[in-house]
Amino acid sequence: MKMKNILLVLPSSGGAGRAIAHAVGTAKKESATLFALYVLETEVTEDALERLTDMGFIGERPSTELSEAITKEKRQRGYESLGQVQIKAMEEGVEFEPLMEQGERFSKILEVIEGRAVDLAVIVRKKERTIARYLHRPFFDELKEKSPCAIEVFDED
Amino acid sequence: MKKETVAAEIDRRSIWLLLIVKGRRILFFLALLSFLWYIVSIPVPEGLTPAGRNAIAIFFLCLILWVSNVIPLAITSLFAIVLVPLLDVLPRKEVYGLFGNEAVFFILGAFILGGAVMHSGLSNRIALFIMGRFGASPKRLLLSVYLLSAVLSFFMSEHAVAAMLFPIVLDITKSLGLKPGTSGYGKLLFFSLSWGCVIGGVATFLGGARVPLAAGMLREITGKTIDFVSYSVAVLPLVAVMLLVGYLILTRAFPMDVESVEKVHEFLEKRIRAIGKVSYTEYAVGLVLLLTVIAWATIGKITGLSTIALTSVVVLFILRLVRWKDIEAYVNWGVILMYGGAIIMGTALEKSGAASWMAERAFGQWVVNPWTAIAFFSLFALLLTEGMSNAAVIAILLPVGVGLTQRFSMDPRIVTYAIAIPAGLAFALPISTPANAIAISSNYVTVKDMAKLGAVMTVVSWIVFNLVARFYWPLVGLGY
Repeated sequence: MKMKNILLVLPSSGGAGRAIAHAVGTAKKESATLFALYVLETEVTEDALERLTDMGFIGERPSTELSEAITKEKRQRGYESLGQVQIKAMEEGVEFEPLMEQGERFSKILEVIEGRAVDLAVIVRKKERTIARYLHRPFFDELKEKSPCAIEVFDED
Repeated sequence: MKKETVAAEIDRRSIWLLLIVKGRRILFFLALLSFLWYIVSIPVPEGLTPAGRNAIAIFFLCLILWVSNVIPLAITSLFAIVLVPLLDVLPRKEVYGLFGNEAVFFILGAFILGGAVMHSGLSNRIALFIMGRFGASPKRLLLSVYLLSAVLSFFMSEHAVAAMLFPIVLDITKSLGLKPGTSGYGKLLFFSLSWGCVIGGVATFLGGARVPLAAGMLREITGKTIDFVSYSVAVLPLVAVMLLVGYLILTRAFPMDVESVEKVHEFLEKRIRAIGKVSYTEYAVGLVLLLTVIAWATIGKITGLSTIALTSVVVLFILRLVRWKDIEAYVNWGVILMYGGAIIMGTALEKSGAASWMAERAFGQWVVNPWTAIAFFSLFALLLTEGMSNAAVIAILLPVGVGLTQRFSMDPRIVTYAIAIPAGLAFALPISTPANAIAISSNYVTVKDMAKLGAVMTVVSWIVFNLVARFYWPLVGLGY
């Protein structure tokens, strides 16, 4: 069956060269539209802020300023990552749409998969040790279980 | 008519598992309260009073809550405040009277002063100026960030310093085009920010508020006091050695993979131009802070540190240098509950006899002389502070430590230092201290980097601390 929409989920840090090449290559072969998603995760930011307010007893203003600085930086990195995919897609003549979403990674990926009727999702995961991978496995298992489309997982470069 | 279908997702896990998952918080607190009830209902052990037994029950309850972080730290303290009179450990009047402890008001005054410095923009200006003036090469820029973080943490809360410097350091990494996760110089910059704040934060009473807490608890327990200058005199050599060792460890661990910092200078100059000339508020706040530090150092013993801190706060408002709503934005009032509660718990443990009883049974066989007491408590404080708040470490260890060292006729200030100083030296985990969490959130420093180098630094801290205590402290009247 021919694919119409392919989703590439970019990591918040680390390289995604192999996943990008695979997603663009597949989209070209299938003449499909490629969506690249960068999720602006708030968990790490919230963790730092929680430490500041709970352990450091620092008021709202420095916490807000810190949060804004972190979010701004992450957004910038997201634009850069999406830009890389865009260049590659343009070179290969693939129809491309960048997406940036803020929130929890799992739900945002599912939302896009369902909302854009995605046929294949290519996801990049962080390089992890065996034990950490064992602990995090439910994320991809759960995603594969809940997602209406096929999921391919790539390790970051 | 359009027919709507609703998809219902069925959770197929066992009902018991689901009940545990959904009700785990309630189960946790039920188990905790059962544990508390069990301890307060067992027969009183030999050598302990009923009040002492109940104080131990509260101690363990707080320990579990502080380590697990299921409720905010300050609320755990509040729990202790409620339980101490409720379980007849101390009379209600005395418990609430302890809230008026000088240390609590000193901490409050210091936080307000720090908030005023940040609000005026003075700290930001100093940071930009120092980096612009002294950071001419990659090595010197790195040293500027490291030493600036440390020195600012001498005068303000180290957590506030880390939060304030983070955006500047982030902009520096961006102007140099450093790649997150892989750039050696990026890692060096954020490690310098974090370690500078952590090491600098133990240098004075102002760094992390843990020393005033320890001093307040010591005063309640033994009547002995620690003054501003003698503390810093005792700890500054340790800070100097730790800063040096920290710098050597960092620069050997990561390469300085940039050749020029020219672009950083352009960025810093732009930022300095944007904030304009030094304002009246900055001058005035700086002067108030300077006079406050001088007063703490010179007349602090006579007037009390908290009196000076609060006088300076009043002056800030008389001169209209800050408004109440500005201060509210910079100070988290949970600090009063946390520190007040910690002092109440420490006093309850000591006055009920629980502290010495517990210390004797838990540590008596290992701690056989003053030297082992220092080695043991400093190690314990260093390890505990990696997993919990440094104020909580002090609240837990100090009454026990002071209780145990009474049998060596040892100056209780020494064991107070042996707990309060290492309790601030948390290097290995992002959960240990806000400065570490901030460094990790940059994405330049990874958790693995932090754990690896932090473990090395923890061992180094313990060795350096014990060497300073053994060979330097006797020279400044802290012999044992």
